[in-house]
Amino acid sequence: MLDFMRDHPWAPFYRNESGNRLLAHEIAALRDFERAVAGAHIGWAPGTAPDWVAPFAARAYAEVPYYRALGSPPLRFTDIAPVSRADFALDIARFVPDHVPLDRMINFRTTGTTGHPLLVASHPVVAARYAAFHKRALRRVGVELRHGSGQVGVVLIGYQERCFTYVSVTPAMDESGLAKINLHPSDWRDGADRARYLDALAPELVAGDPISFAEYLKLPLTHAPRALISVSMMLHAGLRARLEERFKCPVLDIYSLNEVGPVGVFDPLAGGHVLLQPNLYVELLDPAGRPVAAGERGEITVTGGFNFCLPLLRYRTGDFASLAFGAEAPVLVGLSGRRPVRFLAQGRWLNNIDITHALRSLPVSHFGFHQKADGSVILRLAADSMVCSEAARAALTPLFGAQTVNIELLIADDKIVQYTSSFADAHS
Amino acid sequence: MNNSGPVLETLTRRLAETPPDFLEEPVVAGQGTVVVAALVNDLARMHGKRLPEAALGVFAGTAAHVDRNRLALVMVAAWLLADEWFVAKALAPATLVALLTGPMAELAVGTGAHKFVTDADRREELARVILGSLDYRPQGETLEQATDRLSAISATARRKLLAASRASEQRAREIRAALAAKAAEESADKWTRE
Repeated sequence: MLDFMRDHPWAPFYRNESGNRLLAHEIAALRDFERAVAGAHIGWAPGTAPDWVAPFAARAYAEVPYYRALGSPPLRFTDIAPVSRADFALDIARFVPDHVPLDRMINFRTTGTTGHPLLVASHPVVAARYAAFHKRALRRVGVELRHGSGQVGVVLIGYQERCFTYVSVTPAMDESGLAKINLHPSDWRDGADRARYLDALAPELVAGDPISFAEYLKLPLTHAPRALISVSMMLHAGLRARLEERFKCPVLDIYSLNEVGPVGVFDPLAGGHVLLQPNLYVELLDPAGRPVAAGERGEITVTGGFNFCLPLLRYRTGDFASLAFGAEAPVLVGLSGRRPVRFLAQGRWLNNIDITHALRSLPVSHFGFHQKADGSVILRLAADSMVCSEAARAALTPLFGAQTVNIELLIADDKIVQYTSSFADAHS
Repeated sequence: MNNSGPVLETLTRRLAETPPDFLEEPVVAGQGTVVVAALVNDLARMHGKRLPEAALGVFAGTAAHVDRNRLALVMVAAWLLADEWFVAKALAPATLVALLTGPMAELAVGTGAHKFVTDADRREELARVILGSLDYRPQGETLEQATDRLSAISATARRKLLAASRASEQRAREIRAALAAKAAEESADKWTRE
């Protein structure tokens, strides 16, 4: 399988090597983990932490150097001071429990564009556990992955000047193939090989981000996977619709962070991102660290998780939403990254969510929106989305009226800080 | 420890029965429940005199990592010092402040404040440290016995703390080195790149 993927005549230039690094006994344990995640109930009474949270917190205070240095655990969970990405970035080592062996520790790097750049301590078992949550998300839309030996199960697509690319196999899926490729033409002998190679691999699942999926849409592919998974940044409704129309398969927008893993999958019928992790308690906090009132927006703050190298205790993600309690699981409603920014439009303040809604029907991969100190606004679109510039201006006119809406080219091949402002009181 | 004091067990039992109010969060940087300066002032009034305002500043916390555990232990110690035996001594404000800052700050390094409530050896250590700071020893013990016992129980605790602290620092260095040595995508597969 590895030879097939790597030595295929239409294969890209694979620049790196990787692997699952799992031990034999860990594969059976992973299958147990997947079964547990598949059948678990997710939820709690509003405002009340689940029963597992108190012992989890007590263990953190005993075993994690950062918390141990603070002294005894507080009597109440809500008295635990939240931590943020800045705390992790300062010294992630202090958040790794004493018992975690270091010989197989790995890390995942996060970008600095949306916050402090960070090395997240992890482990091959933790990396392999992601699949359990992806499968739970897929099962919700009727997709049960069935690839196995001799097949390519998953292709991860990127689109950057340079990124890590490699081939591997997934032991828990009977050693099926896994390839991480870069759709940027510089990684291919011939740009036309991209579609031919993907058709030859015929993966059951393709994972990527809105930028790489915008490029994927342009390829003259004949093979359609059974599902697409998009992470890393918000998948615009217009782009999702185009992908669904083209490939006639479910397109999952999964809210996932390096520090936390997959948190929720967007479901329009549920009204937001349905939570995926049974042992992740989600609170919404105000800037002072207090839980917000029911239905109000707040900063998504998480406790628990499946990464035993980095147990999370009231970790502030920097993302915002409100929380609804659905029949299946709690739902993050109106998810937005970063601190809310408001924009002055025709004498009234708009939320950044309002901008997202105004532009949602457009098939753009990603965009940046900025209000200058003089009140004029700039919408930055990626090169392949500039064809939508007039439609975007028309979509924003009802909001901004006669205020100047400038369209500029977005020059960035990765995540950006989406909503920014130099206008006074924009962050109040 | 030149003076004979109370029966040790009355103090350790009092510590074991510390009320929940004294285990609440001290106010640090605007977060928390108990204003420790106010608690200490109440204690001083029980002993007959209020504290001067200038003396209270040391009981305000500004950073959790520096002040939380120290102030939490001050709260536990304040409960102990409110015992009728101590109140009858009418401890001077300066004595109270010196006791609640110096020895308590030392004890708070590396040991969770509530351990001095839940752990028998720590309860004994706290009671003996407070008595010793006031020049008292437990009733029924000679000076030598009291000195030896305090040395033993404190030294053992300090040795363990020092060893743990060194081990913790060494491990932190090893973790940083391990993380820096590994490039993520070359280390293990996952289906998505966040």
